[in-house]
Amino acid sequence: MSVVDSPATRRPDDPGRSQQGRVPGHVAPKRRRQRGSSSTPWLLALPALLLIAGLLGYPLIRMLVLSFQNMRLRELLSGRTPPWVGFDQYTRVLTDGVFWAVVGRTVAFTFVSVIISVVFGLSIALLMRRVTRGVRMFMVVAMMFVWALPQLVAAQIFRWMTDSDFGVVNYLVDKLPGVDYQNHSWFVNPWQGWSVITTLVVWAGIPFLAITLNAGLTQVPKELLEAATVDGATPWQALRNIILPILKPLITIVTTLSVIWNFGLFTQAWVLRDGHPEPQFQTLATYSYTQAFGQSRYSLGSAIAVITVLLMLGVMIFYIRQMFRIGEVD
Amino acid sequence: MVAPARPAAPAPASTVPLKRRKAKADEGVITVGRSRSGTILANTAGIVFGVFMLFPVYWVLNTAFKPADEVLALEPGFWPSNPTFDNFISAFKAPLFLKDMLNGVIITLFAVAGALVVGFLGALAIARFQFYGRKAIILVVLVVQLIPFLSLLIPLFLMLQNVNLGFKTFNLTNSLIGVSITYLVLILPYTVWTLRGFISGIPRELDEAALIDGCTRSQVFWRIILPLTGPGLVATSVYGFIQAWNEFIIINTLNSPDKQNLMAWLLQNQTTRGTAWGPLMAGAIITSIPVVIFFLIIQRNIATGLTAGAVKG
Repeated sequence: MSVVDSPATRRPDDPGRSQQGRVPGHVAPKRRRQRGSSSTPWLLALPALLLIAGLLGYPLIRMLVLSFQNMRLRELLSGRTPPWVGFDQYTRVLTDGVFWAVVGRTVAFTFVSVIISVVFGLSIALLMRRVTRGVRMFMVVAMMFVWALPQLVAAQIFRWMTDSDFGVVNYLVDKLPGVDYQNHSWFVNPWQGWSVITTLVVWAGIPFLAITLNAGLTQVPKELLEAATVDGATPWQALRNIILPILKPLITIVTTLSVIWNFGLFTQAWVLRDGHPEPQFQTLATYSYTQAFGQSRYSLGSAIAVITVLLMLGVMIFYIRQMFRIGEVD
Repeated sequence: MVAPARPAAPAPASTVPLKRRKAKADEGVITVGRSRSGTILANTAGIVFGVFMLFPVYWVLNTAFKPADEVLALEPGFWPSNPTFDNFISAFKAPLFLKDMLNGVIITLFAVAGALVVGFLGALAIARFQFYGRKAIILVVLVVQLIPFLSLLIPLFLMLQNVNLGFKTFNLTNSLIGVSITYLVLILPYTVWTLRGFISGIPRELDEAALIDGCTRSQVFWRIILPLTGPGLVATSVYGFIQAWNEFIIINTLNSPDKQNLMAWLLQNQTTRGTAWGPLMAGAIITSIPVVIFFLIIQRNIATGLTAGAVKG
């Protein structure tokens, strides 16, 4: 039966299926599954698709529409359709020096924090291969606790530790000879403030990176490294010529994820600045949020959000292509 | 079975020998050309690193068990000299703490249960069926995970304020229902994606054997796929729990304090003049405990779900 009706039931535009059909031993059951009905998978996926369309797709479109209107508090309260303003919001945002400063700051922060995190994470992963078993366990347990902490809690802890009056960081730095850090405020100087934020982000990001990369390192064939050592390769050469090439796909993925996460920095800056980030501590995410909900400029906030997503688009496409390339998506 | 440990492992049959090899590599660290002094140096570095990582965790515990006067001491003590539970008690007694805790539990349970049911069906569709549009669905699931949810907050807020169901319009802001559904959708893409990995990990031959033996499709689902995905369902729901429990920006924007969760409570607490650090840190610990416990249970799956397949042994 299956041989006869297969050309009719098989759609020519579905390569995956025709490929499967070619496997000789699997013919009968595969046919049977395909015959089930082509609407079954859609019915199964329907609730998920509806929810995603309703609460992610629709808001996305609404955000676009909103960015071409001028929605203020008055329109929000009265429920009237806000006036259309065309590209006014975008013109306003893109000609605003403050916005470009925010973009530059967000990009710079992402760049610096991702590089530090990945380099540090890789070093820790390599270190984990070198230490003895007990120390490795200790490192893993320490990182697990940090990884498990909710972002908000981690940020609150750092806010407490860098508190100007009673923070332990000031107390410890003050102990250094010749340094007076009593009642020092870490957020007066933006460079210092951003180092606190970066430290927090790197500290919280290391566990994921180090543990993932360490898992990748266990897959590097031991024989290769031993052969290289016997042939007189320095550890640095082994790292550059053996470990890094093998680890490259994994490093690419974790770097991409870190870029996506750090670019959207909100919680850390928000909490460390008590929910009112000063201009020099605004990121794209906090800036859009403050414009919309702080100043009731919903349309302006939407325009900034649209631009943020567009800026991220390249990285996102890269990530998805990577996922397809490594065959994770079949 | 083979599926649980590596949710998105493409070839389940090969994971067993691969694992064994991995374990062996773990034991036999390369010994050629390694000096003892180098090991001591590495161990020292590892311990210093671990101590640095743990310091903030230690500090929050240290603070939470100190009485108020020790918390605000100019010379911070590195050990509470009079350990006390006062901070925890005052956190529990703080206005809205218990209410927000209950809200959080309700919202999280609803979101996780909903996402699990809906996500499982979706995952089943893309893991077990070949159909036109399958790749498009996968693409959608991947893309929506990357969109910063925060940027959708503005339209979401406007949308939930005025939900028109045809016969009546509802205002779902400042309600538990609104955030519950929002959280459900927030964790849905990850749920679909992870469960897809778990389901693909079950050998198709099992389905086929059952079908040949006369099972119906729904019997295959109930007797084979669902039981074998059990561990995957646990891991996925725990991850969803953590996501929903940790969220605070959406709920803080949509709802007033009496309809928020513990995370938002922690955030609110800071904006009042002069932070009560002791109770705040105690509250932070209480809020983190379920997350930390759950996280430690399933940590293996989180990392592999995000990057699985990137390195093949």
